Amino acid sequence: MLNGINNSLESYLDLLSVRQKLMASNIANADTPGYKTRDVDFQTEFQNLVHGSAPHVTEVTGLKTNNDGNNVSLDREARLLAENALRFSAVSQLLRGQIRTLKAAIDEGKNG
Amino acid sequence: MSLFSALSISASGMAAQRTRAELVTENLANAETTRTPDGGPYRRKDVVFQTGSAGSPFASAMDAAVSEGTGVSVSEIIVDQRDPEQRYMPGHPDAGVNGYVAYPRINPAEEMVDLVSASNGYQANVASMSALKEMIQRSIDILR
Repeated sequence: MLNGINNSLESYLDLLSVRQKLMASNIANADTPGYKTRDVDFQTEFQNLVHGSAPHVTEVTGLKTNNDGNNVSLDREARLLAENALRFSAVSQLLRGQIRTLKAAIDEGKNG
Repeated sequence: MSLFSALSISASGMAAQRTRAELVTENLANAETTRTPDGGPYRRKDVVFQTGSAGSPFASAMDAAVSEGTGVSVSEIIVDQRDPEQRYMPGHPDAGVNGYVAYPRINPAEEMVDLVSASNGYQANVASMSALKEMIQRSIDILR
């Protein structure tokens, strides 16, 4: 967008939205037989996204599978939901600060 | 527009869980119903969920395109095929020749467990939706 830092902040927000969407779908399918929890590997995908490639969604391993083949853990999703919202809030504040700085520079230029 | 399609995913989850809760209520309300339009006693109904369209055609087209996250839908409503419960009530108008009346095979405990499960599922979807709303609001605030 504006410069390098803002670009990675933007990618970060993008990845958070992708993750949020996956969590929404995990929660929506918490009672769907055979559904497997899906997520992104945050670190790796963030690096990839900064370099311009689309995020890769994987199935989460190591969760307890129910008799109906579903392995969604509502507790895990609730934790990630809260974490994701906080991260999003922090990064959007940062981005807002950057834009505010830029705005201040433009306004000062106008007055001077 | 990823966040907006995530809203319809949560909405599809809420709709599916509500359908389930409605069927539980129907089952409980008809636990003693011996007459139905199809004849015979009421039969217990249950839902089968499947991953799929998140409601709007736009959202399902989006899902197909990006394949991140899918909603849930009710694929079918199954009707219990077990034999009805026979109770000996010779005075009942629906009693058969041997004095037995066919009653629906409904276990209130089973229904309550289903109801709690549907209600928890609904709440989880609501929580996910409010988190999303918060995030969308944050994005709007960036430019304020």
